[in-house]
Amino acid sequence: MISASPAGPARSRVEPTRRAAAHRPTPGPRRVAGSARSDAAIWTRGLTRSHGTRRAVDQLDLQVPRGALSGFVGPNGAGKSTTLRMLLGLIRPSAGRGYVLGQPISRPDRYLHQVGAMIEGPTFHPGLSGRRNLDQLAILRGLGTHGGGGRSRRRRRVAEVLDQVGLGDRGDDRFSAYSLGMKQRLGIAAALLPRPSLLILDEPTNGLDPAGIREIRTLLGQLAANGMTVFVSSHLLTEVEQICDHLVMINNGRMLFQGHVTDLLAAEDPRIHLVPEHGDDARRLATMINNVGLPVELDLRLDIPDAAGPSTHQPVVTVHGPEGLAADLNRMAMGAGIALRSLRTHRPNLEETFLRVTGEIDGDLVRAEALPRVPDGSVAPAGVGLDPAHSRGGAT
Amino acid sequence: MINAFRAEWVPLLRRRFLLGTLGAVFACSVLGTVLTFLSVGHTDFDGDPVTAAWLSEPGGLVQGAQAVSILLGVVALSVVAAALAGDHGHGMLRNQLIAQPHRARLLAGKLLALAVFVGLVVAVATVVSAALAFPLAPVKGVSTAAWHSGAGLAALGTGFVNLYLGSLGYAAVGALAAIVLRGPASAIAVGIAYALPVEMLVSRIYHPARAWLPMQLMQEIATGGAAFATPYADALLRGCLYAAVMVAVALVYFRRRDVTS
Repeated sequence: MISASPAGPARSRVEPTRRAAAHRPTPGPRRVAGSARSDAAIWTRGLTRSHGTRRAVDQLDLQVPRGALSGFVGPNGAGKSTTLRMLLGLIRPSAGRGYVLGQPISRPDRYLHQVGAMIEGPTFHPGLSGRRNLDQLAILRGLGTHGGGGRSRRRRRVAEVLDQVGLGDRGDDRFSAYSLGMKQRLGIAAALLPRPSLLILDEPTNGLDPAGIREIRTLLGQLAANGMTVFVSSHLLTEVEQICDHLVMINNGRMLFQGHVTDLLAAEDPRIHLVPEHGDDARRLATMINNVGLPVELDLRLDIPDAAGPSTHQPVVTVHGPEGLAADLNRMAMGAGIALRSLRTHRPNLEETFLRVTGEIDGDLVRAEALPRVPDGSVAPAGVGLDPAHSRGGAT
Repeated sequence: MINAFRAEWVPLLRRRFLLGTLGAVFACSVLGTVLTFLSVGHTDFDGDPVTAAWLSEPGGLVQGAQAVSILLGVVALSVVAAALAGDHGHGMLRNQLIAQPHRARLLAGKLLALAVFVGLVVAVATVVSAALAFPLAPVKGVSTAAWHSGAGLAALGTGFVNLYLGSLGYAAVGALAAIVLRGPASAIAVGIAYALPVEMLVSRIYHPARAWLPMQLMQEIATGGAAFATPYADALLRGCLYAAVMVAVALVYFRRRDVTS
């Protein structure tokens, strides 16, 4: 298991922007910074890239440990690709500094021979076969030029990476004839060509079918298990949650979180969803639980998120508390004569955490005390009293 | 640089591209040679008389290829612009820069490979023209005796070198346009538009400009100093300077520019 960033404080809960600043590592003595630089596969301080007055990447302090399988997540336009481009020497930072494999990003020639990358999709010569495209990159990297049997060694390596990504049989087809998934695989094969110490992949599972995604997931896991550092940006948060032990989350070019995935998820508050059999009991139940000091919310939407089965059309009382409270809450409800239709514990997964932290969904729940009253005293229908952004459905 | 040079040959030698380019050059060369020999007794494009005696001289063997020097230049410009701008346009440059982060070495290797390829193109044109000249010569009463002599072979070699240097000048324009514009279609269009109509218009309106406009000088070099009044040596010096400046500007652009999507 990869440890969290040593230069930063331990993470508790995460919130956009306000807490991001609190999570920026405190500048330590030069000796410590130097050590962190060499220990980390990727290390940046104050990395900034401006386009006019807009900052695509804003004071980013990255620290990806060596040997980690690290996920790089953020909404569209968060600055992921710009960050990756800076790390690969394709664009220059406007401010800040960075090191990749201990070498400054201002000198990509010192480290790129140990880096394999696929950025912004697989891009190859459409008129050449997959094999010849890889051959060109292998020649450019000088693979097989040292020692004997240059050409045969190069061809053997190209064949190896084609087999590794499952393109062994289609290597001689033109790139333009490849499906999106096959192109993606070829991009990964190209990144693997130099037997890199650091593999940087931008959305590697784009266009892959479920079986392909699983294969790539397994492949990345194997590579990381063999000591390779893998830094992978992805929108498929379920994938990131499953395969990555380290996570970097950014939004608007700023750091929101970096560290263990488990640390992030553990910091999220567990919840217990209670659905009374009769909707009229929801407010009473919420007030009762609130009176014993537990934070509670009343969700007026028509369904439980992720609930299996047909829509229940019942309000949901959400209690912020550990799973162990579920039985107590059940007894409390029974004691008050409230029958529960369902009681479910819930710990937010990475996708929910991501959406909350990035502000995509930030307030679907309404505090019990802020509930709007309807004339007959019953629970207000869904959406009443909410602004349009809050009245939409979706996960919480 | 040698790796970049070798790698560039992979796309250049793909069958469809190679056959297409050489086919176009073959057609241009045949056209130029046939028209040159059919012009005996008439005048050429510039209004100069074409005679059997003139073609019977040692240099007559390469007149067909030199007649289409502009077309060869356009082919060179297009090939270089398409290759360099295609790397940008298709996004392949990102992969290449990750594989070879020394940008100057990468571009130098590419330019060297493209220069050799242009040499191959011009060599094919010269060989085709020379081969076709022999069967066409008797038709118009042109003697081939001088062509077989040492002077004839020397003239053939000199003609090839001049055509090559002129084509490289066009290629330099293509390289600069490709690096600056980063799209194959726009690079070729702008390059050809400048090389042909723009310079031709300027030089026809203001004749002394022929001695200083880059493409006019390349034309002078390609024809061995036969096109305009500018001495060949002057044209060669100025043309080389222009080409060096164009390549240098392209190199500076290439090194400093961000590589984005």
